[in-house]
Amino acid sequence: MAEEAGVKSDSIFSRKLSRRDALKAGLVGAAGLSAGAIFEACTIFPKSPSGSSKKIVIGTFQDNAMVPFRDVFVKRFQSETGIQVQYNETNYDAWYQNSKNDGLHKTGAYDIYVLDDNWVPEFAAGGVIQSLDKLGFKANPDILANGLNQGYWPPKSGAKMKAFAGTAPELYAIVIIDDVEILYYNKQYFDTAPKTWDDIARIAAAKSKPGSLYGWSARGVKGNPIMQTYLPLLNAYGGNFVNDDWSPGFAGPEGVAALERLLSFIPYMPSGVAEFDTDQEVQALLQGKCMALTEYTGLSHQVDDSSASKVVGQINMAATPSQVKSGPAIGTFICGIASGAPNPDGAKQFLDWFTSSPIQIDFAKTGSAAVTGTALKDPTIGAQYRWLPAIADAVNNSVAKPRSPDEPKMEDILGTRLNEALVQALSQKSGYHAIATAKLTQAASEITAYLKSQGGYF
Amino acid sequence: MIAAGAPRALPWSRRISRAAGSYFLLLPAALVLALVSLYPLVYGVIASLRHYLYGVDHGFAGAGNYLYAIQDQTFIMALATTAKYVLLCVVIETALGLALALLVNRQLAGASIWRIGIILPMTVAPVVVGVMWRLIYASDIGITDPLLGVLGVHGVHVLGSETTAFLGVVVLDVWEWTPLMFLILLAGLQGIPQEPLEAAVMDGASGLRVFFDHVLPMLRPVLFVAIVLRTIDAIGTFDQIYVLTRGGPGVSTQLFSIYAYNSAFLFSQFGRAMAMVVILLAGVLVLAAIAIRLVRSGPGTR
Repeated sequence: MAEEAGVKSDSIFSRKLSRRDALKAGLVGAAGLSAGAIFEACTIFPKSPSGSSKKIVIGTFQDNAMVPFRDVFVKRFQSETGIQVQYNETNYDAWYQNSKNDGLHKTGAYDIYVLDDNWVPEFAAGGVIQSLDKLGFKANPDILANGLNQGYWPPKSGAKMKAFAGTAPELYAIVIIDDVEILYYNKQYFDTAPKTWDDIARIAAAKSKPGSLYGWSARGVKGNPIMQTYLPLLNAYGGNFVNDDWSPGFAGPEGVAALERLLSFIPYMPSGVAEFDTDQEVQALLQGKCMALTEYTGLSHQVDDSSASKVVGQINMAATPSQVKSGPAIGTFICGIASGAPNPDGAKQFLDWFTSSPIQIDFAKTGSAAVTGTALKDPTIGAQYRWLPAIADAVNNSVAKPRSPDEPKMEDILGTRLNEALVQALSQKSGYHAIATAKLTQAASEITAYLKSQGGYF
Repeated sequence: MIAAGAPRALPWSRRISRAAGSYFLLLPAALVLALVSLYPLVYGVIASLRHYLYGVDHGFAGAGNYLYAIQDQTFIMALATTAKYVLLCVVIETALGLALALLVNRQLAGASIWRIGIILPMTVAPVVVGVMWRLIYASDIGITDPLLGVLGVHGVHVLGSETTAFLGVVVLDVWEWTPLMFLILLAGLQGIPQEPLEAAVMDGASGLRVFFDHVLPMLRPVLFVAIVLRTIDAIGTFDQIYVLTRGGPGVSTQLFSIYAYNSAFLFSQFGRAMAMVVILLAGVLVLAAIAIRLVRSGPGTR
């Protein structure tokens, strides 16, 4: 007892801890930590990064095309409305996961997600983003229709999944940058913009110098990169990625002819094209080693930048060549409001403001791919930024990818077989028709099998 | 009979109470360990039995995801590619690592500099390694094509064909992970007693004879541990190859890890991806068990 009394009178720092003391301290600590975590998880305490109506949080992936949006317009919105904007950006893959998780669990970390347009089906069908129609958002009628249509779920036209066949399309996301593939060509080799793929092939055959000047360059890496090369060809030759009944539309004569055309460029392309992604393809053009290629609008900012380009003022832009028709792939930057957005009204106000015609005209004045017809077709702005009329033309002729959450898998399957076809053709240097037919048929059967396993298509 | 001065045996009740107290004190650590280690594993197995559609859980799927995985040709090919990759890498790295360890163990002049130089590659982050080798292999700006050109081999384009791309990723792995084998095996060599080796030399045994009859048997447990560790690590290779080839051309470098990642995070097939992971995990556990058994049953371990 005396010993106990003695211990009690000692300082807590000098006394010897008994097992009971250790347990008590441990339990109290653990209880405290658990309680904190539980309170945090259940949000008993009000917690909202943008809970105030005077603040919105925008999350996005990093892309050069977003620089004027971030540096000029987000700041301008803050100063004009007094609503604070927190702007968080990360890389593309991480943002796809981050935004999806945030929306699925209604975490409320963001108000606005900047999305790639092919995420819209999954995000809308999965409840990651809210219906803008239900929030009372009215889209600016000046926005080009093909860009605007990327935000509808279910899609307004084309193949629809069975479960959504009878559902009226609603606007879930609003386009903010009309990114679309356009043709970049060096006017040193082309007197006028080539109108057809045959024109490109003719000039390439006449003027290419193997190893130093390529008539054409492309992205050849498997998956998404080579798909961006193939889609404008496929659409131009009258094929479809998928038909309205979800059957693959690329394995017929049109798709085969489109792939044969791509393979026919082999003598005029860099010999390592099968491993080329955007950076290598673009370098060939900017170093003056390539006569023409198709690429998204982000490249237009680099062609006249003397620190990056040896062909300043020499590159012109036009809609992608046609054969039966012109059919560039469209890949807009598009904004949705998070399902758990703490400030949907502020988010709606921002999107309404940014997509308004006057702001879009100012956006086009930075050389950016605005989304309204009046901005893209403004002759004064078009004279300064020669790619803007080409973008308007390309958007109006663009062909959307299949509107399905399974589009990435379909793209991966076809993109893998296209890459295999290119590798085989590079090695054989002949037999392109047989290679194209075999690989496209294989991809078609794999995509059909996959869609059947997923259900909801046939 | 208890000797005088010897500690008195505790009564059973006290002993049980003391043991229980010890386990009770271990409980928080065990719980934390279970949370961070066991829970994800259990959650993964549960997820492999759920039907996820576009990232949303649609209920119990039974063995559906497993049936899909074993019928999925791309998955089977990814497993085959992984097996081929792991086998090539581990064999080459073991041989090279052992050769380097034997060399450095011979009291070379400047051994510490050699040691540092050899282990440098494994200190570089795998993603950086991927970027570095992408620049080395690039057909337009890389150094591989010009170097091969000097040797009279033209137009190879390492990443441009299926065979060369596969060999290219193996070379990368060998460059990065041979140092690990070297380090482990060097430590093993330095732990071998010198007396039997000296005695063998005194008896007139040749260098090769000493190596095969004495060094290798004594090194065997360490060698097995190194091989098992490296094999398990190589099966999970992801970053370098994702950066370098994304699994291409075609599916020639699509390892299991890349296909599982794409299935989960690109195609939102969480259930199917987890089923693939569980199948692989089972395979790795079987391999590890066999390896451990071999180590225990081998000479030099008793």
